[in-house]
Amino acid sequence: MVYAALARERRQQVRRQRLLPLFDDTHSSAGESPLTKLLYDDGDPVALARAWQEAPTFAWLSRRNGVTESWLRERLTALPTEHRQDRFILLTSGTSGEPKLVIGDRRRSERLARVLHELQDAEPVAETVVALPLTYTYAFVNQWLWSRQMGRRLVLTDGLRQPDTLTAALEAAEGAMICLVGAQLPLVRRLFAERAFPGVIRVHFAGGAFPQAELPYVRKLFPNASIFNNFGCAEAMPRLTLRRAEEGERAEDVGRPLPGVTLRCDDDGRVLFRSDYRCVGQISGAEFEPFDDERWVPTGDLGELDDRGHLLLRGRSNEVFKRYGEKISLAHLLRTVQAAWAGQAALVRAVDNSGEPGHVLLLSPQPERAQVRGLLRALRSQHPRAWWPLRVEGVDNLPLLDNGKVDVLAAARLDNTTVYWDQRI
Amino acid sequence: MTESQTAAGASDNRERLADLLIDVFLLEPDEFRFDLKREEIETWDSLGVVAMAVGVQETFGYHFTPEEAMGIGGVADIIHLLTDKGIAF
Repeated sequence: MVYAALARERRQQVRRQRLLPLFDDTHSSAGESPLTKLLYDDGDPVALARAWQEAPTFAWLSRRNGVTESWLRERLTALPTEHRQDRFILLTSGTSGEPKLVIGDRRRSERLARVLHELQDAEPVAETVVALPLTYTYAFVNQWLWSRQMGRRLVLTDGLRQPDTLTAALEAAEGAMICLVGAQLPLVRRLFAERAFPGVIRVHFAGGAFPQAELPYVRKLFPNASIFNNFGCAEAMPRLTLRRAEEGERAEDVGRPLPGVTLRCDDDGRVLFRSDYRCVGQISGAEFEPFDDERWVPTGDLGELDDRGHLLLRGRSNEVFKRYGEKISLAHLLRTVQAAWAGQAALVRAVDNSGEPGHVLLLSPQPERAQVRGLLRALRSQHPRAWWPLRVEGVDNLPLLDNGKVDVLAAARLDNTTVYWDQRI
Repeated sequence: MTESQTAAGASDNRERLADLLIDVFLLEPDEFRFDLKREEIETWDSLGVVAMAVGVQETFGYHFTPEEAMGIGGVADIIHLLTDKGIAF
């Protein structure tokens, strides 16, 4: 009984602290630029709600965004006059990893939020628990904008960086939806182990292939939840496809296009889209690049459409390269690794002693020798040697981006790794 | 060096070679034999030859010429070449 009372009190505390007066516009943390607002996510979505209501275009940014304010201001001068009202701007990295600004149309995104509500059968959902940064397009549209459009509660947490608030929010959840990326699951498993959160009734994944292998665990963690996979990209603002977990059995199956979205794959396997909800343009260099309705926009992924119209992902276009004449897909390789290794893994590009492109496999936490042998056995049975990593290295913790994915650029610079296996090439 | 020292060195070298080839070709320990032929191991491909040659140099200090490395048809050939270079097996 004491525990029940404590749990109730904790739930009430969470609600008092985290329920947000979304439509209150009494204060703002916005900084002003001559052309558009630079609005930083300082944990105060009231400022965001206010900016959304006001006409001027605003850029919604993380404080840790990897670019300088002068870089931002310089690029924003390229924004044409017709896009200086009723737009919003997000910072993302393109397929090259270079930062760029994508410009969204608020009305299009509001329509998308309503479409998602219908398709995801979200009417019974009372609140959404935010475990990703709101500057991430996926959380921004699927959670912040959806909650605003549909009048549902937004429960902010510090995500997996400081799991206490996330744990408390999940314990207190009632009719909740949560958005995750598959890359968070190893950490989620370490954090929550055998726990279950029955108050969560919708779970969404995005950020690449569906975490199919982890589905039994996700169902145990959220026993009352319908599980969906979302696929898209920042330029799509951001959703392109949707799949209920039970609609497929393969991780690469990310579902069928949303109404208003058309997909095709070109001869090189690149996934291209047209969408009623897409961004209106982007600024990657000094110029604004408009996206018109006729343009087929690359997502940065490789894939194919099956006979049901489902998109099957084959990897990122920058994750495929040739090594000694053999076409290597790091996404495919990572799936082999993840089937044999329950921790986190990253493949970082490297060159071998002959100057040929290759990659190094990083594992976290530090593996046992027997686990490394198991992994190598899986590599040998499923891939020719050219696919094998140059080295298998272990590290206590892999560096993560705000969205929970491994920061591959930072991982490539790690100098505290332990080498468990070396191909000697 | 006494006969017993030579015998101990040879035994160590056989063990080191077995460990090396298991590691280079990702063999199961019970898969390794000293009469194993190249064609029996799918991982003994052209890149495997390079990896094996680098491993032999690291372990025994002898660098196979490309002709020697490509001409090796099995574990016995490696032992034969290294024995010719004065490494006891």
